[in-house]
Order: sequence, then C-alpha cells, then structure tokens
Amino acid sequence: MKKLLVVLFLALLCLTAFGATTIKVLAWDDAHTQAWVANLKDFEKATGIKVDLELIPSGSMLQKTSLNVTENRANYDLVAIDEGNVAKFGDLLVPYSKWPEGKTFKKISTTEIPQAIFEAALWKGEIQGIPINGNVYVWITREDLVENPQYKKEFMEKFGYELRVPETLDQLANMAEFFGTKGIYGWAPFTKNTEGATCEAIMFFEAFGTHFMQDVAGKYVITLDKEKALEAILFYRRLMQYAPPGANDMGHAERIAAFSDGKVFSMFQWPGIIPSHENEDESLVVGKIVYTAPPAGPSARAAVRGCWIFGIPKASTNVSAAAEFAYWLNSYDAGMKLAEDGMTPVRTDLLTNPVLLETKPWYEGMAESGLFAVSRPNRSVYYPEISEQIKVNWLAAVLGTVDPAIAIDNMVNQVQALLDKYGN
Amino acid sequence: MEISNRLIRRNSRKGVLSYLYFILPALIIVGVVLVFPIIYSVVLSFFNWAQVDDGRRAFIGFQNYLDLFKDRQFWHSLSLQLGFIFIAIPIQLVIGFFVAILFNRQFPAAGLLRTLLLLPVFTLPVLSGLTWRLMLQPGYGVISYLLEFFGFDASRGILSDSGLAYTAVIVQDVWRMWPFMFMILYAGLKSLPADIMEAAELDGANFFKKTFLITIPMLKQTITTAILLRTIDALRIFSEVFVMTNGGPGNATMLYSLYIHKQAFEFGKLGYASSMAVILIIVSLLFAFGLVRKNMDVDTL
Amino acid sequence: MAKMRRKRAITKWVLFAIALIIVAVELFPIFIIISSGFKRDLDIRNTNPFSFNPNLTSYERVLGKSDFLPSIKNSLIVGLSSTAISLLVGAMASYGISRFRFKGRKVVSYSFLVSRMVPQIALAVPLFMLFDSLAMTDSYISLILAYTSFNIPYVIWLLLPFFCSISYSFEEAARVDGCNRIQIFWKIFLPLTAPGLMVAAIFAFIMSWNEFIYALVLTGNSTKTAPISVNGFLGQYAPRWGQLAAAGTIILIPVIIFTLALQKYIIGGLTAGGVKE
Repeated sequence: MKKLLVVLFLALLCLTAFGATTIKVLAWDDAHTQAWVANLKDFEKATGIKVDLELIPSGSMLQKTSLNVTENRANYDLVAIDEGNVAKFGDLLVPYSKWPEGKTFKKISTTEIPQAIFEAALWKGEIQGIPINGNVYVWITREDLVENPQYKKEFMEKFGYELRVPETLDQLANMAEFFGTKGIYGWAPFTKNTEGATCEAIMFFEAFGTHFMQDVAGKYVITLDKEKALEAILFYRRLMQYAPPGANDMGHAERIAAFSDGKVFSMFQWPGIIPSHENEDESLVVGKIVYTAPPAGPSARAAVRGCWIFGIPKASTNVSAAAEFAYWLNSYDAGMKLAEDGMTPVRTDLLTNPVLLETKPWYEGMAESGLFAVSRPNRSVYYPEISEQIKVNWLAAVLGTVDPAIAIDNMVNQVQALLDKYGN
Repeated sequence: MEISNRLIRRNSRKGVLSYLYFILPALIIVGVVLVFPIIYSVVLSFFNWAQVDDGRRAFIGFQNYLDLFKDRQFWHSLSLQLGFIFIAIPIQLVIGFFVAILFNRQFPAAGLLRTLLLLPVFTLPVLSGLTWRLMLQPGYGVISYLLEFFGFDASRGILSDSGLAYTAVIVQDVWRMWPFMFMILYAGLKSLPADIMEAAELDGANFFKKTFLITIPMLKQTITTAILLRTIDALRIFSEVFVMTNGGPGNATMLYSLYIHKQAFEFGKLGYASSMAVILIIVSLLFAFGLVRKNMDVDTL
Repeated sequence: MAKMRRKRAITKWVLFAIALIIVAVELFPIFIIISSGFKRDLDIRNTNPFSFNPNLTSYERVLGKSDFLPSIKNSLIVGLSSTAISLLVGAMASYGISRFRFKGRKVVSYSFLVSRMVPQIALAVPLFMLFDSLAMTDSYISLILAYTSFNIPYVIWLLLPFFCSISYSFEEAARVDGCNRIQIFWKIFLPLTAPGLMVAAIFAFIMSWNEFIYALVLTGNSTKTAPISVNGFLGQYAPRWGQLAAAGTIILIPVIIFTLALQKYIIGGLTAGGVKE
C-alpha cells in the first residue's frame, strides 16, 4: 500500500513537472501565420510552453474575438486584432507597459520595432499590444516596363522626362496614360465596399494635404478641407480611366489577379499579399517588380498603415506564457527562420537584413513606406460605422454615381451625425 | 367498432400522459437550443446592446424598431429580399414543375438522371456561391468567356454591375434550388391517382388542358408545401450571397441577412440586429399564414 | 399498332435527349468545380476555362493543409450524431402529436415550422453565450445540439403526414395483443414509416453537413467542420480558386454517394406519405 502511494506520488510529481502550460492563440489564416505553424515546435522546445494555435478566415476574426474575449472571461490567451478594432477591445487588454520582461525571449522595445508601427496598438494614450505584421501600403511597379528602352524613348518624347518608378501622383497619371496606349492598365484601384476603400480615401486625402479627422483635446473633430478633398477625388477619377475592367468593384482578389497576370503597371499592395506576386505558381511577373513607398501627392507621401497586433486579454490566466510567444515571433533569430517560411517581419533589422532582402526585395519598400505611415481616423468603438460613411460616400464620388462635391458634404454630415450621436 | 371506441376512450385518459412522454424530449431539446435563443433575441431587440460593452447598454423599448423604420438601408435590404423571393421562387417553381412533368414519363435512364439533378440542392451553399463567383469573373470565368464568345461585352465584370450582380444572385439560387421544387412536385405527381389522368387522356384532352385544368388543381397542396418550405428558407439566405458578392457592388446585393450580419458583427449592434431578426420572423409568419390558411390544415393530414 | 409503338419509341428517346440536356446544363457548374480542382490558381486565371491540363498542385495543397481532413471527420461525427438524435426524438414527437389530439395541437405543430423562420445569424450569438457559459464551446456536443435545433422541427414536420396516415387499426390490433405504447412505436410505427424516416435522415444529414454559421461561432480548432475549413481557402485577401475547387470536390464526394445510394428513398419517401393531399 505504502509503495503504491509512493509510486503514485512520484508519478504525480512527474506529471506536474512535465505538465506544460498551454496557451490558446487566435489569429487569421494565411501564409504569414502558417509560417508560425511550421515553427511552433522550436518555441515549445525552447520554453516548454505548448501552443494551441487556431487560425480562421480573417473575415471572421472580429466576430470570434468579440464573442470569446470579455471582461470576465477569455477563451484565448493571445488574440490578433486588426488596427481598426483596437478601440473595441482596448479596455479588455493588458497594456504593453505591463507585459512581463520575458524569460526565454526578451520583451521587444521600440528600438526593434519603430514607434510609428507600435502605435497601431494605441488606445487611450497607451500601447495595448504588440504589432505582428508590418502592414503598410507598399507601391509595386513593373520594373521590366520602366526599363524597356523603346518605352523609355517614346515616353521621353511625349512627356519630356524619364520613364521610371513614379515618385509623384502626377507622374503616375502620365505613365498610366502612356501605358494605356500600349494595352497595359496603368493602375488598379480598390473599390470594393470594404475597409480597403476607406484606406484609399485616407491615402488620397492625406496625399492632397488634408486630414479627415483629428483628435483635438480629447474630442474628435472633422477637419476635412473640402476643396482639397474634391481635388483628390477628381484626381482619383482621372486615374480610374486607366484601370482594368471591373474596376468598379475591385477588391483584393481582382487586384492580385490583374497584377499577377501582368496586366497592371503600378499600384499599391499590402505586404502580406506581396509574396504571392513573387510565387512562380501564382504569378507571371515574378522577379519583375520594384518596391517603393507610394508616390507623393501635391502635399505629401502617404502610406496607410494597417497592422494587426497581438493583445493579451486581461482575463487570461497565462499572461507571461502568452507574452513569451509574442516576443518569440518578433525576435531576431526566430524571425529569420519565420521570414524565410513566409512571415512578414516587423523588426527593422529584419526588414533591412541583406540576406533576406535578396529573396524578399519588398522589405525595402516596407521600410521606406514605414516612414510615411498614416493611420485611419478615429480610434473609437464606433469606427466601423464611421468608416462605413467614409467609404460609401468616397465610392459614390469616385465611381461617379453622386456628384463629388455633394458626396463630400454627405460624408462630413453623416460622420458628424455619428459623432454627435455617440457623444464623441 | 365497439372495441375501438372503448379502447379510444380508455386511451384518452391514460393515453394523454404517455403520449406526452413521447413529445417531451423534443420539447426539452428544442426548448433549450431553439426557444431560448429566440426569446433572448426578441428580448435583446428592446435593448441598446453593443457586443463589446461600451457603457451604453440599456433598455430602450421600441427605439430600435423606430430607428429601423428610419433606416434607409433597412428598407433597401428588405426590398432586395422580397424582390428576391418574388422573382426566384416562381421561376424555380415553374422550371421544377415542367421538368417534373417531363420526368413523369418513361424513358431510359430516367432514374439516374433524376438523381443527378438533385446534386445542386445538396452542395455546400458556400461552394455554390464561390463557384458562381468564379464562373462570373471577367476574362477567365466560364460564363464571361461564353458571353464574349457570343459577342456580348462582359469585360466590365457581371458582379461589378449592380443590376447584373443582383440577377446573378437570383440565378445562383434558381440553379441551386429548382431541383428541390422538382423533387417535391415529382413526388406529388407520382402520387396522383392514375385513373383520372388516363381518363383525361382518353377524353382527348391536350397537354395544356390536362395540365392546367386537372394536374395543377390536384397538386395544390403539394405546390403550397413546396412554396412554403422554399420561401421560409429563402428569406434567410446568407452564406451563398455573402461569399459571392459580400453585399456588393456597393449595397446592390445586401440582402436582409447580410445586413443583419453587418449590424451584428461589423458594427456590434446586437440589439439593433435582433430587432431586424424579429421583423423577419413577422414577415415569415405573414407568408406562412397567407399560404397555409388557404391550402393546408393539420387535421386533414 | 406498330406505328404507335414506333411513335412511342421515338418519343421515349426524344424525352431522354431533353432530360439529358437539362441535366447537363444543370450540372455544368459542378463540372467546373471538379475541373478547376485540377488546375493551379494561375492557370485558372490565364487559360481557357475549357482547357484541361490536369495538375495536382491544388489537391496537394488542400490535403497538405493540416486542418482539412480532420474537419471532414468532424463534419461526419457531428452530422451523423445530430441526424440520429433528431430522427429519434423527432419521430417520437411526431408520433405523439399525430396520435394525441390535444387542444394546442395545431399551434405546436406550426410552431415547429415557425422556428425555421428565424435567421440563424440572430440565433448564433445567444447560442454561443449559452454554450460558453457552460464551457461547452469547441466541443462536439454543443454543435450537435445546435443542429438538432433545426433538424428536430424539420423531422417532426416531415414525418407528421406519415404518422397521421397510419390507421388506428394497427394500434388496436397491437393493444389487443398486449403491446404497450413503446413497443407499438418501435415495432409498428417505425417500420411502417421507414421511407419517411430515410428522407428525413437524408435531409437532416445534408443540412448539418452544409451548415456554416453555427459552426463558425461554436467550433474551435479541434471541432472545426468542413464548411469552415473550405471557407479558409478564401484566403486572407483573395480566393485560391484551385484549392477551393479541390476542397469542394472532396466534400462533394460523400454527398454524391449519399444521394446516389439513397435516391430511391428520397422520391419514394416523399411519395408514400409526404406531400399528397
């Protein structure tokens, strides 16, 4: 009997020693996160923490997160949150300043990830999590088209300056017009009625020198300069002439296909998507792309930022284990391996790493764009509704279904109504 | 006869209780997983309830409903949905009916062909929506390809035109569900007494006379069942349209359930979304009463 | 006479031809799914839709995705369990309602129909909260029960005409033989309504197999069902058509088998008692 008890006790001891902490992580499903899957065992070996990684379609992330993370209960220890939704969950997350220092992997600081990118997780003046992808508008242009001597000659004759990667929007318009005569679409918009359209609106407003909304002493005030907005819209409509068919309802799927099939000269792209343009199985333009920051408008260069962050719910019971995982995937050594497996890193030293740059030239574009990052307006719980009004009116204006001046008025009035309704 | 009467009388006292036992498990399970959520939703419709607590959750009576009536998008979605019902379902019915009449005859491989016809009904709605989306892509989608082949200009993309996208959504549903109508109507046709049909033929009635004066009236209950079942499901259509157009272009295909989804999960306004659900229940009930009252009765079953 | 026989023969083949054309047109999209599964995404976008250069890349990617095959297993478990439970419970209830002429009878049977009128989106959230408070999310049971919420009413409604059409004389004879109600149910009613039960089983299974919204909300990593994992091929940004088609084809296989194997029951069941006057 005694022997049995001793054996049982020892067995129990062994079990608890090997009894690993398991963290539950929720993120979206694509090449970037799939890279983590391939390398989870490295993390588990280094820390003894088991990771239950759940990847779901990104369109379902918001709803799953809202259901599973509340003040009192968190079914996940680490959740991926899109920048625009940080306001929704901000209060439910552990502020970054309170995250532990990290045992096996050190806490990431702003020397490793730029402050401008960390600000994706900003809510009520505090950083609430850690960015996990450096998503910023990158401009992609067909290098083979600008290097083509025949095109160079003709372009110089017609416009009087050298054909190259467009540095200003005006140049882009000229080149788009030029390539239109060669059977190539100069540019592709984003016109699907989703968040991507709001991003386009913000980029062009900023490029033409106006901020849609600003935080003035704690309250949100609409500061849109209507004349500049009108200029921006009219310019966008000018570009639309050079867009591929179906430009009236162009979303990611259509843009990716058009560019990868070699039909488009120059446009923006999210870093997360760029690997597919450089994939032999999916693209006809592998190796023919040059990556830069977006062209400048009359007032500024603007690259819309759209990072996802990892947040740790306050109600989680595995805060330090969760933090370790977040530090791991943002660490240098793991990052090198993860980047090769398809993850898009956030760390500056990875984005400028010469070894990686050889096979992933777009990192250069990301680093450059990061300098001009702009965020979408209004960090509030009501952002989706505000975004809805911006995008619906923007699209009506650029697609020509509503007179642009009227559309701008509608946009401002409707957003103002929302601000009034929700007491700002 | 006497024995049965006695039995029935005896049964009606003890019987009541034991029949209840049979119904009980269904009532309990359905009570928990169906009735509770429905009641919860109805109650929630009287609250301002944000999915993530923003400090404004409160009982607001009929305010959600009043806001709904002022909401232009609500009326737009409702009209899109009703338009969908009144266009798609009659088309499905007519196609299903005539194909049922066709299959009511003898010809080789009828059984096999009939079965193959049912495949679309059983495919994953998400898959159906995605397939149609693929087929309608400009350039490489097979439908666009064929249209170009016959000289139409499909380069703009069917799904990026408001009217055509709505048509495409309807066509997708007709494609998927007319075999369902076919199935029910065929079963109904098969159960019609053969002697009446023969008598009509011998009387020299031609095809149209037979169909309209005899077949259709005799199938009234079947037709009503088919329309009823289909309407109730069609009023809630979601996944196919969601993956096919996501409500676009703009809001041209933002059918009712898609707007509920937007309110509930994009804007997080659960109370408002619940009030929309309640309105849909009322609309469904109106359809059901309209159809059923005239043509069906539980007691005659 | 011979002329009429020949006329009938020609008519037969004409009908066959028409039916064949109808089926071919109707099944065309399914052909597209199947053939697209054998192409790479790039080829789908850049080659003629009717070209066919079979390539297994998409299938490799699909089968290589770690959650795809387990999701099919999950769909099977949930579908079969929910069907079994709904069938049993539903048949019992249908029996009770058909035999028991109580006052609220009409209301009860119609209320089951009404329950189908509620958009699932609206019910998904309270259902989630219910199961979450019981810590039952990401478990088979929660999804199985959620599916019974629409399967049981459907089974009851479908079986009602069958049960009602069985005359009392069977029961009387059985009672005279000394059977109690449970035995009457098992040994007499169920066998007599077998066609109806088969139809109900098929529809319940297919509805569970195809269900999306509840699965999205109630499942987690270990219980993810097939529609959710197919949705995953939609990609963060753009549909991976080849993989979607390959995954879709794989998911169609059980459906095709089911339909072909049980086809005589589907029509037979509906004929025997379902929807006649």
